[in-house]
Amino acid sequence: MEFSPDLFASLFFHTIGYWWVIIPSILLGLIVGAIPGFSAANTIIILLPLTLVMDVEVGLIFMVALYCSSRMGAGIPAILVNIPGTAGAAATPLDGYPMTKAGKAQQALAISFVSSTAGGLLTTVVALLTMPWLARVSFYMHSVEMIVVMLFGISLIATIAARDTLKGLIAGFFGLMIGAIGTDHVYATPRGTFGFLELYDGVPLIPALVGLFAVSESFLMIEGESILSQHGKDVIRKSGWAATLEGARIAVFRWWHITWNSLIGLVIGVIPGAGASIASFVAYQQSRTYSKTPERYGTGHPEGLIAPESANNGVTSGTLIPLMILGIPGGATAAIMLVVMQYHGVILGPALFTDYPELGYGVFMAMAVTYLMMIFTVLPLARYMSRVTLLSTVYMAPLVIAFTLVGSFVPREYMFDMYLALAFGVIGYIARKTGYHVAAILIGVILGPLLEQYFLRALKMSDGDLMVLFSSNIGNVLWMLLVFSVTLSLYMQHRRRSTDSAEDGKSR
Amino acid sequence: MTKTTRTSRRDFIKVSGAALAAGGVSSLPFASASAQSFPSRNINVYVPTREGGGADRNLRAFSNVWKKYLNTNFEPGFYPGASGRVGYELYMGKAKADCYNLIFGNMGPELLNWVVKKPTFEVSDCVYFGRVDTDPGCVFVGANSPFKHIDEIVEEGKKRKLNVGTSRLAHPASIGILALGEHTGAQFNLIPLSGGKNTVAGAVTGEMDFSVLTSGTVAARGDAVRTLLVFNDENVLGERLDNAPTINGHFGTNLPPLLSARAFAIHRAAIEEYPDRFQVLQDSFKKVFADPEYKAAVVKAKGNWEYINYGGISECEAYAKDIQALGERFRPLLTGRS
Repeated sequence: MEFSPDLFASLFFHTIGYWWVIIPSILLGLIVGAIPGFSAANTIIILLPLTLVMDVEVGLIFMVALYCSSRMGAGIPAILVNIPGTAGAAATPLDGYPMTKAGKAQQALAISFVSSTAGGLLTTVVALLTMPWLARVSFYMHSVEMIVVMLFGISLIATIAARDTLKGLIAGFFGLMIGAIGTDHVYATPRGTFGFLELYDGVPLIPALVGLFAVSESFLMIEGESILSQHGKDVIRKSGWAATLEGARIAVFRWWHITWNSLIGLVIGVIPGAGASIASFVAYQQSRTYSKTPERYGTGHPEGLIAPESANNGVTSGTLIPLMILGIPGGATAAIMLVVMQYHGVILGPALFTDYPELGYGVFMAMAVTYLMMIFTVLPLARYMSRVTLLSTVYMAPLVIAFTLVGSFVPREYMFDMYLALAFGVIGYIARKTGYHVAAILIGVILGPLLEQYFLRALKMSDGDLMVLFSSNIGNVLWMLLVFSVTLSLYMQHRRRSTDSAEDGKSR
Repeated sequence: MTKTTRTSRRDFIKVSGAALAAGGVSSLPFASASAQSFPSRNINVYVPTREGGGADRNLRAFSNVWKKYLNTNFEPGFYPGASGRVGYELYMGKAKADCYNLIFGNMGPELLNWVVKKPTFEVSDCVYFGRVDTDPGCVFVGANSPFKHIDEIVEEGKKRKLNVGTSRLAHPASIGILALGEHTGAQFNLIPLSGGKNTVAGAVTGEMDFSVLTSGTVAARGDAVRTLLVFNDENVLGERLDNAPTINGHFGTNLPPLLSARAFAIHRAAIEEYPDRFQVLQDSFKKVFADPEYKAAVVKAKGNWEYINYGGISECEAYAKDIQALGERFRPLLTGRS
């Protein structure tokens, strides 16, 4: 696995020659990513018979392009109508949707597109150059270390609780309780399933996601005529290409933010079993902790949008590293790619890069070329996509509910999941009306079961000794970083409050 | 979620027409007419795991050939959840018992599931009648593991409790390693890792001392893993499983083969009510194994043809009896109530 500029240059031009596969795959990926319930993984499964008869190189380019663009596509409805298409985009509406409500949908989309493509491209290049070393990350990040990584994401609940401590904590614990529904991870004992078989595997994420965010939002939409204020409508109507360029400029100007968060995504993506949902929440938490303006997060702050979008695209190249080097897929889409490669007799591992460099490196080159093509094909669409927000709520609310209910049904094809989405919609509506933060509930629902899984595994491995949590050097370093990160966040908050009250005192 | 099925008007006219053509309705018993027209529509297959997995690939390869002999299509429906429990409960609870609804599962883990936790239906009401393959469990380590031979694992297991990754506790391979521990005095701590992908990752990344899984999955991982022991009477894959020894051959145990076996099952009520239809299913099922098209499909999908192994209702019954007896024997360890 030696670095060869000539090989990379020839691969680059060779891959560009497959534009006729990449561009349609990008458009398909955007569509399936934007529809809740659909994802690159289930689309590739549906198209598996087609993929298997393709030449292996064409099949892989098709899958990679679909994978990258669907990740970006999931952010579009999250920004425009508060519907995250996948769990990986769950942190995107926290700041994306407030931007839309302020009439800045076009800028928000442009920020999302630039962050996604730049983050994805950067991490692909880093992955290409450092693959053998990055693959080793999964040798060190085991259950104990993952518990701490989860706690980084879960500590966001505390951040949210800082605005209204009691309500924030109640919402977070409520989410964690919902996340505990289902059979336990060791002995498969059902807990809190109320006799519903459909809950044995836990609360399905998509119905919870779309219910809490989109359905509850639709109930709120019905109360008004538009999701935009009159000012917001005027801004959207008047905005031209300049708004797209403005969004792109905001993102490019924060290149360091994109770099940092996409690298978080890359490292988390390398760990088998971890994924975009963890990466986006951890990136959001980190971004807020070290921001100079943390108080603006959650109100439509560009950095709050850049963090999850660059992180969840950083995950895409990360998940392919253990697949290509170790034969272990890092995520669901990578697992299906493994099926296709095995079908074509491709043996994965370091030998792949010497025996078939055009395939080994070619997968990552396809990813890089896809991201390059995405920025030119998708960015101009921001202007037209943002017009969706001008639609009257008379049409938008029922459309959103219909789409999200279908999206809830798709992953498992259970009617139960549609009812569940509605139930979560009602919970989300009540939460919003009474001042409880739905994001805190959702963090508990998404990260709670993962935390429990790693925690129980670590305990089982140590015969129930809690000190196992501090048994690894890397884990201990992560613990210190977590404590530092939370303390810093609390300290900055305290200092800001002191400054604010001092300024209030002066102005009186 | 499930498709309820009943004889449609069109089916009735078709059956009646066939009966008339054969010499008059009054002289022909209805059940016989119904068998001759069987199947008159697609057959639904419940799959208790996700799309794109091993069961999906296995089912597609098999049903693509089986459909030729039945002159109908198979419609798979995927109902994953709770280690297969969701799919079985739905099949037994909601699918009509008329031979147009089958379930395709993995006998070993699923029968152990019922030993560990009883389902809401009577286990004997779900009858396995068509085994497609037998895939023995095995012990394997990551390529970088310090363990090069199973004896080293046993020796180390006598000094300290070794962590063993498994896809789930109620699995034939888990039983195999518990039996090895019982036989040798080595201590093994089973860690369920929720699926084959994570079980391989547990061994390769070194989080587990080693892992146990079905050998077909392990063989597909190539050089990333090294197989050290096979829970069968013979290592039929040989080099592909690193010529690993068998448990009975190496340790002198007397264990039955600890196999995962993918098989079709049907409602007992369907067999009793429609014996002719069931006969059609059984006869046509057996023909697939001799069809070169099936072998070509398995080989093309990089499956292990050596593991394709026809089993009828009696073979399935014998297998079920063995695996349930082993499950009962290790029940306290599998349920954490030892």
